[in-house]
Amino acid sequence: MLLSSLLLVPFLGTLALLLWPSSPSPQRLRLIAIAILSVQLLLSLVALGRFDVHQSGMQLVELQPWVPGIGLDYSLGIDGLSLPLVLINAALSLVAAVITRDIDKRPRIYFAMLLLISGAVNGAFLAQNLLLFFLFYELELIPLWLLISVWGGTNRTYAATKFLIFTAISGMLILGAFLGLALLTGSVDFSLTPVLSERLSMGGQLLLLGALLIGFGIKIPLVPLHNWLPDAHTQASTPVSVLLAGVLLKLGTYGLLRFGLGLFPEAWAKLAPALAIWAAISVLYGSLAAIAQTDMKRMVAYSSVGHMGYVLLAAAANTPVSLLGAVFQMVSHGLISALLFLLVGIVYRKTGTRDLEVLRGLLNPEKGLPFTGSLMIVGVMASAGLPGMAGFISEFLVFRGSITEFPVATLLSMVGSGLTAVYFLLLVNRAFFGRLAITPTTGDALVDTRLDVRLAPVAPRETIPAIALVAAVVVLGLLPSSLSRLSEVATTTMASASQLSSGLASGLASAVSAGGVG
Amino acid sequence: MPIIPAELVQANPSLNREEIQARLLAGQTLLNDSADHLLQVVAVLESYGIVLDAYSKNLIYQAEHQFLNPLALFKYLDGDLSPAKIWRHLNHDRINFEYAEYCMKAMLWHGTGGMDAYFDGEAFAANCAGVIAAKRRRDPLLALLHPLAPAFLPELIRTAATTHALGQFWRVMSDLFLDLAAAERDGRVRSIPAVVDFIKDGLVAAAANPIQYGVSIGGEQFWILPPEANLTFLVDVAVPYVEAVFLRGTPFLGTVSFNAQAQQISPDQAQFAYGALYADPLPTMGAGIPPSLLMQDMYRHLPEALHTWYLQRSRGEGDVRVKICMSFQKAMFCVTNAAINGTMPHPLDSQDPVQRSANAAYAQAWATRLAAGRTDCLAL
Repeated sequence: MLLSSLLLVPFLGTLALLLWPSSPSPQRLRLIAIAILSVQLLLSLVALGRFDVHQSGMQLVELQPWVPGIGLDYSLGIDGLSLPLVLINAALSLVAAVITRDIDKRPRIYFAMLLLISGAVNGAFLAQNLLLFFLFYELELIPLWLLISVWGGTNRTYAATKFLIFTAISGMLILGAFLGLALLTGSVDFSLTPVLSERLSMGGQLLLLGALLIGFGIKIPLVPLHNWLPDAHTQASTPVSVLLAGVLLKLGTYGLLRFGLGLFPEAWAKLAPALAIWAAISVLYGSLAAIAQTDMKRMVAYSSVGHMGYVLLAAAANTPVSLLGAVFQMVSHGLISALLFLLVGIVYRKTGTRDLEVLRGLLNPEKGLPFTGSLMIVGVMASAGLPGMAGFISEFLVFRGSITEFPVATLLSMVGSGLTAVYFLLLVNRAFFGRLAITPTTGDALVDTRLDVRLAPVAPRETIPAIALVAAVVVLGLLPSSLSRLSEVATTTMASASQLSSGLASGLASAVSAGGVG
Repeated sequence: MPIIPAELVQANPSLNREEIQARLLAGQTLLNDSADHLLQVVAVLESYGIVLDAYSKNLIYQAEHQFLNPLALFKYLDGDLSPAKIWRHLNHDRINFEYAEYCMKAMLWHGTGGMDAYFDGEAFAANCAGVIAAKRRRDPLLALLHPLAPAFLPELIRTAATTHALGQFWRVMSDLFLDLAAAERDGRVRSIPAVVDFIKDGLVAAAANPIQYGVSIGGEQFWILPPEANLTFLVDVAVPYVEAVFLRGTPFLGTVSFNAQAQQISPDQAQFAYGALYADPLPTMGAGIPPSLLMQDMYRHLPEALHTWYLQRSRGEGDVRVKICMSFQKAMFCVTNAAINGTMPHPLDSQDPVQRSANAAYAQAWATRLAAGRTDCLAL
């Protein structure tokens, strides 16, 4: 029942918020949502406590046939791949609710949608049945679309529609792949069982894997399927950006590992070199595009595109170390990008702009946003992969695990990692150093220094979520074993299982061809 | 282009050169007269007076008791070496005497006025030779050092002389500013013009005070700035001080990087405009004398009325040092205003065209320099 409660709590919370008889104030609604999400976090921690790190398979399994005729089972389970993501979903959903302030319209629906997304994401991470996964995967789509299109920025309709079209196509491709699996194999078994050559020809496998790759590639997003993400981030409010970058993109990488690699290990091995190159292109393109941005939020969004490429690289390499790196990267990117979006949100709320052409000197100790700026520098350092923080561990594991398999792609990705420092130093240098200003320079230093900038100070309570995220990033960087012990068994099993099956397949093929010659 | 809310950024009106010149010639004050300005100027000068008192005592202590001490570890302690005092010093529960030294060094480095001319003369060299000979007999370190670097000890003596002279200058200014606060309390000063007049009268009264400095080495008295040098308060110390600290300043103490090779700093020291009247009140990233040390000192001695006034504005305690600096610049414009009025070549009401044009030229020269300063603090 524990895993079901991870779905029930947010879903019942959604219902409760929607059906609440009186009309509570936005502040009260926020507190209710925070309380519900705190319970969800507690339950996730209980799941963590019950999780046996030495066991490789699914744990805390719950299985109920639902619609046996179409192969849909209510089947939940958790392993070293999904547990960290469930935890980070609980934490970041809570952060998103906490940082929602000054909500101006329809607070009841807003918080209900937040809870619905959180529950649906939990469902997707816990589902052990392809159709069940797909249901939850689609379920988070509409609330997120609403969150962008109702509570977004000035150009929100465009961004929300673009998001909807892209992710709807993503959903269709994934559903198509799952149904195609049933069609081509002739069975309605939607459980998570690897599909090997004896069940499906390599052509069929490649076709289905290709559909999954594009479907999840949109969600991650990978270049050139990334186009929706910068717009969605730019128009989304800060809490939604935090959720989007921190949690929802992970559905894509999780799907890639669980279904792409998990279901089609042989086809995956065939495509792996191309995937590694694709990852390198994604990393480099995301990083170079980030350099060109002048909107802080777009810069962070493009950095997401680059950093999610590491996960594809690690998945392509498919070694125990690289897969552990992929899990690490998902978690650390979730924390770091959430932190960065959160801080950009504070800057935007206080200054009214995110434009790097006009923001300067925000670190000013007396009249700027010094603490926010300091946290931003920590976040930027973590994102650039400085030792002592989560980003370093994940990038190191990914590169160390991948370089033996795909040296060129890994080296190119390392260049992308270096470029992270370039664009984030540009961001910090432009926005946080120099003389405090939130207006374009006039070219006359005297005129510029005569401008009196009156920013409202950041209250200490506003920085609590950011401090918590910084603490998590540093703890994970200094004590990486806290996460690796959760996932190591699972990722090692996953790598060896898929290598075994692809090795078996190639061994069989060579045996057959040798037999033919003989 | 983003739309920046107007309340977040404000450009205060600033006085241009013509306006400054016109005000100086009309006998008007540069700083607009208002109740808020009066509160800020008088209160900030009161706290400045308290701080200057400490600076003055320490500078004089350093010049007299730490004279030619190459390892002056306890120079900021005014001779009190009790553990409690040392603990307070280490715990930074103290006045930032470093700021006084910055000002002294700016005066020494810019070197204008009669004292600097005296430093370059033979009489001073002869005094130095006597002092150094007496010191070398008692101090083996100096005995060794002097032949190796013969220009070093005379430079230290110039430094000590400037230190003492600045201490004497600030003694007068400290008393003047505390008297001003008392005059405002008992109703003798009720407006900004009255403040400027009060300061002008104080400066004029002290103008001819002699500036002298002598040291005692082994019971023997040595003059360093002797009476016969005829150095006086206004011309030889106050005016060079205003030139060095208010106007020119030094470009190296802020956190803005200047590229001297790219001529970002004028090779002509007289063209410098990094002083207190030009300094950006934001404590980082602004060139000139770092105001933060002085602002911190004044903050510790801020009169309650002004502190309350600050708490009701912008970030309250959060940016109090910036607000002190802005008030301080208003006050320093008043002091400069008084100094200009006091040194005007001819009476302002003179009808003689020659005298009037001399006054106009004098006012124009000042207006040109001041217009590039923080005149945006004068209106609001």
